[in-house]
Amino acid sequence: MAGPIFNTERHVKYYLRCLKTFLPSAYVSNDSNRMLLAYLTLGGLDVLGVLQSKTTPEERQGYIDWLYHCQVPSGGFRGFSGTDFGDEKRTSDNKAWDPANVPATFFALVNLLILGDDLARVKRRECLEWLPKLQREDGSFGEVLGPNGTIEGGSDLRYCCCASGIRYILRGQAGKGVEDVPDIKVSKLISFIEACQVNCPYTKCLDWTDRFLFGQSYDGGMGESPFRESHSGHTYCAVGSLHFLRQETDKIPSAQLLSPGSKKFEGLVGWLASRQTDKLLGEEDEEGEEEVADNDNEEDPTTAEVEVRTRDESVDDLIRGLSNMAPLSGATISCAGFNGRCNKLADTCYSFWNGAALMVCFPVTIKNSHAHQVYRCWIGIV
Amino acid sequence: MAEGYANDPEWADITPIELNDGSDSGAMPLATIAYPSEYLEATSYLRAVMAANEMSERALNLTKDVISMNPAHYTVWIYRARILFALDKDLIEELNWLNGVSLKYLKNYQIWHHRQVLISSQTHFPSMPAKEPDFLMEMFAQDSKNYHVWTYRHWLVRHFKLWDSPRELEDVEALIKADVRNNSAWNHRYMLRFGPRDDVPDAGMVNAGNADISPEEKGRLPVVDEDLVDAELKFAQEQIVRAPENRSPWWYARGALRAAGRGLGEWEGFVGKFVDGDVVKSSHAVEWLADVYAEAEKVKAVEMLTMLKEKYDPIRKNYWDYRIRQLEEVA
Repeated sequence: MAGPIFNTERHVKYYLRCLKTFLPSAYVSNDSNRMLLAYLTLGGLDVLGVLQSKTTPEERQGYIDWLYHCQVPSGGFRGFSGTDFGDEKRTSDNKAWDPANVPATFFALVNLLILGDDLARVKRRECLEWLPKLQREDGSFGEVLGPNGTIEGGSDLRYCCCASGIRYILRGQAGKGVEDVPDIKVSKLISFIEACQVNCPYTKCLDWTDRFLFGQSYDGGMGESPFRESHSGHTYCAVGSLHFLRQETDKIPSAQLLSPGSKKFEGLVGWLASRQTDKLLGEEDEEGEEEVADNDNEEDPTTAEVEVRTRDESVDDLIRGLSNMAPLSGATISCAGFNGRCNKLADTCYSFWNGAALMVCFPVTIKNSHAHQVYRCWIGIV
Repeated sequence: MAEGYANDPEWADITPIELNDGSDSGAMPLATIAYPSEYLEATSYLRAVMAANEMSERALNLTKDVISMNPAHYTVWIYRARILFALDKDLIEELNWLNGVSLKYLKNYQIWHHRQVLISSQTHFPSMPAKEPDFLMEMFAQDSKNYHVWTYRHWLVRHFKLWDSPRELEDVEALIKADVRNNSAWNHRYMLRFGPRDDVPDAGMVNAGNADISPEEKGRLPVVDEDLVDAELKFAQEQIVRAPENRSPWWYARGALRAAGRGLGEWEGFVGKFVDGDVVKSSHAVEWLADVYAEAEKVKAVEMLTMLKEKYDPIRKNYWDYRIRQLEEVA
């Protein structure tokens, strides 16, 4: 069987169309995400290695100018130009309706970096002064500041990741030149992130450094917030956030979640590995339509349960009645992808979220290491 | 607003603020959209009323119009909520409207946050609106694993202290009965049974903020109701036999044991019934045994992991190798 083919040319064509022509009207419902769409477009072309060759320096300068056009006077960036009613009209009463937005600020900074900008026009100090105002008492971050400075948006790992990214780009480890600007509460943020792990019941807690262990939910993955269902997108955000925050100082302990050997780390890795599935998109996710690997009772599961109740058949009897699993081999697995949650279908975007999270767990810079090989095998580049 | 705002006498006193996408100053806008004229007009009036910080009936209607075209607009919802409270509008009516919007845009995040903002108002909602669970079940009928809806329901439980509300467990059981692989429902059940009960600090980690409690005790329930734990374990077993390759109840059981401070070894007998030599009825049972054996019988643990790697879960061959190597390093 021929290997899968990646049609670079068609991808480039698609991204250039997104970059240089109008997106269709259906994108109106994503108007407020234009900064993100811009990131996906520029990032796509950059990853494919053609951003420089397919755009002129004038175009790139024009894009940079638009990104700065989205900068809010008080620091940070808007998600789109649609909230801008003009600097001259901006007052303390209406500024909440044209706020800087946490994810948009992160993507704007990354977009500027992709385009080779030196960030000289970024209101660095103002942005870093604004950022801690978005942090809640529980350590998490909101999306925007609403009227009277209220923190708006859910307690959500996505905002935590973007906030950590903004801090990483604009403050860095040393915070040179902005030492007097109060930092975000890093320890609190790490505690919040680690509390979002669905608690991994892998083995017993071994020592005091695992003190955050029990905030997790029960399967080792990360949910949007504590005790929410594990989700690969949020797991990526947690891992990404901790990666941005990684500290080498004694003052702030580095996160157990990214420390190989810790129970949090092993629980996370086990959960990420479990995301691999041969149940692919397009198959109906319905009871009774079993995947190849599944060896469930032939009976309709609902009926089987009714039997437990009515005939009072013991669980032991039911187990005896179950059929044996047929051993699987490479030949019976035609292909496999990643899903984003337990028992969901495989989906390309989750190959990224899971793959990228594994990449942070097992840095690929350690060439030829065991970890590197494990990572490569998992994401299928052997 | 088919007639448009420009010709509407109600809007005659407003000067719309056109979209400034920066092109006039030489910028080249990114992710430009072929905006329909209705959207451009409505948003130019929205900018004008927002700039004036107008709290009015017409502004409220305008937000509805913009939301119908762009429900992900992050400030229009905050603005709308502000107006609703400023004009002391009927929030039940707002919820009824929101129900329709929610059913239309299933994947939208802002809608659910808006709902949470409204219901957070203690003055309007000292207790949960009676129809809330029915509506959530209507949402689950569309998509029983909708993450936003479950996040909202989780919040609802904590906000109104509904952990022991019979309706919560009834709905979860109905959803698990309909689809035993609904991991979202399993997760909700775990939160109801074993999640923190009150506004504990440290983001809801059980006992995490209490310095007097030893690390081993953190995450365990302060008081363990052994009958409840036993009942949950029995429930998990009944669901496991419905679909033995379904990961959800297996991990639920691990979580229940963890919350009670009980070990995996307790299930060795039950799990053993799924494994007879190298003939097995569930790969999760094999993994469970591997974890039990890892404590004291490493050779047997490696045997189990090898069986998963070679026979019953070869997709994760490299992961099982990784686990085997970890055991060998310790030995």
